[in-house]
Amino acid sequence: MCKYTKMFRELRQVLRAVMLSRKRRQRYGLKTVGGLLVFLWTETGTSFKSLSCTVAAAGPWCTEIKKKALQAVLTDLKESLFLCPGPCPEPDPEELCAFTDLYGSLKLLVSFQMIDARGFSPELLAHLESFLHTFSLANAGIKTHLKFKFNQQTLQQEFRVKIKSKVAKVDQPSVILDVTCKTQPPECVKKGCWCQGGHPVRGDRLPLSIPAQVMDQGLYGELSVQPVTLLSPCVLQYPNLETQLTHIQLLVYSPSNVPVTGPSTFFQIIPAHLDCEELGCHGLHCSSFKDLVYSGGTVYTVEQENWEDPEQESRLPSIQQSVRLFLFLQHSDPFTSQLSDDMATEALIEHHLEDILSNNRQAVTAALHTEIKNVLKAQNRRKKDQEKLHSAVKVILSSSVSIVSCSSNLDFRNACLNSMKVCDTHELSASLCESLKRVTSWKFIPKGKCYSAQMKEYPESNEPTRSEI
Amino acid sequence: MDTGGVLELFSEVEKLRVQLMNNVEVMPDCQRVEGEVSHKEILTCIENIILGIVTSLSKDEAPILALPNRSSWANISFDSAIGLQMVSGSSITTIRSDCPSSVTKFAQIVKILSVIYRLVQSNSYATKRDIYYSNTQLFGSQSAVDSIVDDISCMLKVPRRSLHVLATSKGLISGDLCYMEEDGTRIDCYSSSTGKGVPDVNSRLMVRKLWDTLHIPVFALVDADPHGIEIMCIYKYGSVAMSFEAHSLTVPSVMWLGLLPSDLQRLRVPEDALIPLTKRDESKLSSLLKRPYLTSQPDWQREMELMQQTKVKAEIQSLAAIAPDFLTNTYLPNKLRYGGWV
Repeated sequence: MCKYTKMFRELRQVLRAVMLSRKRRQRYGLKTVGGLLVFLWTETGTSFKSLSCTVAAAGPWCTEIKKKALQAVLTDLKESLFLCPGPCPEPDPEELCAFTDLYGSLKLLVSFQMIDARGFSPELLAHLESFLHTFSLANAGIKTHLKFKFNQQTLQQEFRVKIKSKVAKVDQPSVILDVTCKTQPPECVKKGCWCQGGHPVRGDRLPLSIPAQVMDQGLYGELSVQPVTLLSPCVLQYPNLETQLTHIQLLVYSPSNVPVTGPSTFFQIIPAHLDCEELGCHGLHCSSFKDLVYSGGTVYTVEQENWEDPEQESRLPSIQQSVRLFLFLQHSDPFTSQLSDDMATEALIEHHLEDILSNNRQAVTAALHTEIKNVLKAQNRRKKDQEKLHSAVKVILSSSVSIVSCSSNLDFRNACLNSMKVCDTHELSASLCESLKRVTSWKFIPKGKCYSAQMKEYPESNEPTRSEI
Repeated sequence: MDTGGVLELFSEVEKLRVQLMNNVEVMPDCQRVEGEVSHKEILTCIENIILGIVTSLSKDEAPILALPNRSSWANISFDSAIGLQMVSGSSITTIRSDCPSSVTKFAQIVKILSVIYRLVQSNSYATKRDIYYSNTQLFGSQSAVDSIVDDISCMLKVPRRSLHVLATSKGLISGDLCYMEEDGTRIDCYSSSTGKGVPDVNSRLMVRKLWDTLHIPVFALVDADPHGIEIMCIYKYGSVAMSFEAHSLTVPSVMWLGLLPSDLQRLRVPEDALIPLTKRDESKLSSLLKRPYLTSQPDWQREMELMQQTKVKAEIQSLAAIAPDFLTNTYLPNKLRYGGWV
């Protein structure tokens, strides 16, 4: 197994333990505010340098953690999984000062040795960043920090979340998503008229049947998957803009809300099972999975119909969009009562995920088809509206200009030309065309639920600012 | 029939004519025939609309058109001398150019305005059918063109004929009548006309012209059913859709000659010639009884209430069940002789 895979497995186990221990404690109304620090560092003064990892947590979000139970699980992990069992070095407390200054005293501190530091490469850091970014997308209430100290060099990164949105799950605690949109608004958009966030849409929860061979391994109870889609950028306030879906990013999360990493054969080949014609697109192609092992799930490129129109240049503008499709795995078993049971269950789910998905191929494919179709339905409706606007605009312009051109009323003609600040009817035609296209395409209708005002960091709060059901 | 017989036949009609001349305000032709709105006025009205569109675009605002609402009773008032007419300050419908649901109508209106502009400018004429066929994809249907032409007529506050847009023929006039058109053309026809159902504007104009010019009583012979009564009301009082032109289209002196619901009982029309009222008929009848002009027509109200009670209707042809020539040889002559109208 790749050395990085093992390292990530350990980190994920620690995170899983922390997340499960708080989830078990309180089903609803979890405090979600606080900080999480992943600190990679090298220890000096030994015969060889090893890379250590410290996971620290502080703030209200981890007050519900049952420390005894968590400690027991972490001890087991250290003995069974960690590469370098035995006493682990602890980080210099000075390195954690900045973190505790922000979030208060530490509620959790776990350290373990990862790999021989000589095996370190920048690729490791990139993968770790990607993993933690994916973690913060679905745990946006927790401020995630990554700190790296190697050879006296220190790098720090905060996975800052500008806009959060709570999504309720059936019979499960809500999830706080990062819905910040990083797309810059086009130049013609006025200040305060661009939604800087997204509006997650919860799909239907899909029960999953557990294959017999997985049950034999000890996985019982009820398993399901909850899809949530997030379209970005949001153009709800611009009803006449044409949109074009270019990418779909599929992210899978375990019941503890920790990202499931690793390439998934099942999701890679799913485009072959989708009816693209029914969806209204030319095709879906899975991106190369070279980068998918640790990073952002599975990415599909959406191939749209190539509309060849001689007048295509004169068509109204369109906005490219992408969809983030979250798949939250959910599990419940009334016969499990210990944190260690939850840890074991989750390990089983992740280990047998391909088998579970294959066992439910038709249902999962249909569910994904439905989610993508709903996104494309809106896009297709906009396209139809655009075509209507486009053909009507041509008639309006030609009819208006024809009246101006053949009028013998000098006052009328001059009034029209002066109004548009042009010299003749030819320029008038071009100027009217540009203006009419602009006012029709960029028609703006403010929506209360959009994040259009000048944004600032949201203050710390137990409740996220918006809730979406 | 000799002269004495003819005079006797129409003595009641003549009395009615004298009564109408005394009671109904008859305006001189030069005021009634409105007139030809000048070409220049039409062109200026259209130019003002286009200038409005250009001005909106110069301010980066989506142009809108405001159409008076021709389908709402709230915009109608009743005048016994005129009939149903559109009130000033009536509610309007806005047609936006930046809304997919209305942009096509916006384009249709501007397109037809440009067609009308050319027609008026060149003093040529086209039918509504011609306009439809000039761009069937844009207009979709003939009825869309018809409706927009009437909307433009209402918006510009000019009669449709001033827009140089003609309707295809619907009504038919026949009888011992001839008249001269403005360009000197002599038209020979007969003195009875049929609108073939709900009358179009030209049919109504013709009847109106006959009244204005000849001051002869106008009698309506319609089926004894709610639809027939409604047709008669359109001639007499006008329609909601064309209320903006009421003063040139309505003939408030129209009298209901037949077929009256009371005639069915009086003449003992055979039962198998009678048709039960449908739910739709009953609904229309109730609606007619609520019309503002019925309050000044108690005789009409009584006839309609009788129809409500008996719950039957009949066509004019039902008189043929009494005798094949009953309508022309007995019914109509007696009606005219003895003043059997309401």
